[in-house]
Amino acid sequence: MITASAGSYPRIGTAPEKQRLRSEYARLERGEISKEDFARVQDEVTKEVIEEQRRAGIELATDGQVRWYDQISHFARKLSGCEIKGLLRLFDANFYFRQPVINGKVQWAAPMVVDEFTFAKKVSPIPIKPVVTGPYTLAKHSIDKHYHNFSSLVADFAVAIGKEVNALARAGAEVIQLDEPSILKNPQDFEIFESAVGEVSKNKGEARLALYTYFGDAAKLYDKLQSLPIDILGLDFSYSQKLLDVISSSGSEKELGLGLVDGRNTRIEDVKETAKIATEILKKIDIDRVYLTPSCGLDEYLPREVAFEKLKNLVAIAKQVRVEMR
Amino acid sequence: MRKKLESLGLNLPLLPTTTVGSFPKPKEVMEARKKLLAGKLTKKDLRPLEEQATRFWIKTQEEIGIDVLVDGEMYRGDMATYFAENLNGFKISGLVRSYGNRYYRKPIITGKIKWRGPITVDMWKFSQSLTKKPVKGMLTGPYTMMDWSFNEHYPNRREACLDMARALHEEVKALADAGAKIIQVDEPALSARPEELNDFIIEAMEIVTKGVNAYFITHSCYGAFEFIYPDMLKLSVDNFDLEMSNSELDLVEIFKRHPFTKDISFGVVDVHSHVIEDIATVKKRIKRALEVLKPEQLWIDPDCGLKTRTTEETIAKLNVLVKATKEMRASLK
Repeated sequence: MITASAGSYPRIGTAPEKQRLRSEYARLERGEISKEDFARVQDEVTKEVIEEQRRAGIELATDGQVRWYDQISHFARKLSGCEIKGLLRLFDANFYFRQPVINGKVQWAAPMVVDEFTFAKKVSPIPIKPVVTGPYTLAKHSIDKHYHNFSSLVADFAVAIGKEVNALARAGAEVIQLDEPSILKNPQDFEIFESAVGEVSKNKGEARLALYTYFGDAAKLYDKLQSLPIDILGLDFSYSQKLLDVISSSGSEKELGLGLVDGRNTRIEDVKETAKIATEILKKIDIDRVYLTPSCGLDEYLPREVAFEKLKNLVAIAKQVRVEMR
Repeated sequence: MRKKLESLGLNLPLLPTTTVGSFPKPKEVMEARKKLLAGKLTKKDLRPLEEQATRFWIKTQEEIGIDVLVDGEMYRGDMATYFAENLNGFKISGLVRSYGNRYYRKPIITGKIKWRGPITVDMWKFSQSLTKKPVKGMLTGPYTMMDWSFNEHYPNRREACLDMARALHEEVKALADAGAKIIQVDEPALSARPEELNDFIIEAMEIVTKGVNAYFITHSCYGAFEFIYPDMLKLSVDNFDLEMSNSELDLVEIFKRHPFTKDISFGVVDVHSHVIEDIATVKKRIKRALEVLKPEQLWIDPDCGLKTRTTEETIAKLNVLVKATKEMRASLK
């Protein structure tokens, strides 16, 4: 079992020295510092959040996504065919993203997160997992003024994201996380989704593809998700009890990312109780084939100090599981 | 619902005009709030500044000709945190990002939620003493309070929401006892998880409003109403205040399929844009509403709170809103 992050990490904390990214951002907006100055601050904060994950005991980290405005526009703004517009609420979170408007053919123009991954990999003492938002979720959050056909839009996003995944694999990523929260609330689109994931998967090269679903109940789609051409399936357990029953009866063909630590609530999970749930699941899947993770990324949903406590607690839960499975 | 208004002694014109709640804070208040956060001022020090700003906005609303006034929320920061700070069972978290470079402190429910005394009543009384026009009582609703807080205490969202509703019921009673006849319970989170509407949101609103003789409004924005309409009409309120101009008025199409059975405060100016709408645009929006709603059902207001606009933009937008409404009224007679 590997302890891993599932996405973002809070970029500022309460202590004044942890607020640099915010104050420098304000200075950038006022024109007092250059983009290059600000990029250096982002580099430093990236190092800081990787170090914090390592200190918590995480074995597979992310770069914290400290450069992202949000998980939708960070990709859309670098693709041709997309224009970034107003704020809209992201799922049921009290967080807002900038909505892309599609007014041309969606095409990969240049690497979107490869530089970020390369930087993180270079400075990190532990393995780094890059994260990309999936084609279905990107399309679902866009206003389409060009295609007038949702499946064509998804298909073009899939080609673009496939290229990015390929570039990440060539840059040395061993595991690449593909975020597709939107599919959980839209099971009727599964066929469209399936071909999109297929297109991305074709491009994964030597890397292993981890499909992460969250912000909803994956129980109903579990069997279909298991049939996708992916290596790892990441699951959010905070929405449903049914998911446990489904895994207990069906087992898992894929490696699993167990999102047993609620990434959106400050309540620290009880170590023994959570370890017990994990050991139940481990009756059906070998301990070497699972990752223990938060239910989702942690920026936007938790204060920095709580995020750190959550990860430390996640590591304590993993330790308890290993003791019980011995 | 004209009968209910009349029974409360409120004689409002056809198409009453109102606003959603917040107005821009003057510079003095903004600066004093910063000093408050830095610990250089106390809440008491802020009060005279807040009262002065409230006086300005009450007078301004009267001059523009708004029919149902608000206090403008000069004393509030975040709409959830403000109530959490004044109820038992909450503490306030460290900084959480809401978008871009914007961060806020989010409430955490750490114990049983309880009302410990009036929160908004003093300011309501103060505002109402300044005008003969009715001033709305303003609260953040139980579902939004629950949804926008971390929950470390309750086993589930339902129980947190229902206890929140019980606490807010006490505040609603205190407002009504003080003389408030129109009370607005804001629920911007209303459509966050559509399945929860029937599970417990309707029940929570019943707890809030039960046995209180007042005309209730609920405000919602950023919503995807196609998921909770027409079921949301079961909420125990008299008037829904809905964002309209920012959603390209597609709700009107929905109302053609399922008639809207309550009163509605129809948002006709966009609060997220600097552009001042012209009278013709606003009248067109009102006419479109009248295709599917009776004039007796319809109130006119902006989409959402105006606190992110400048004072000048706010006044200009409201002037257009009132002029357009008056012209429409004349044409309906």
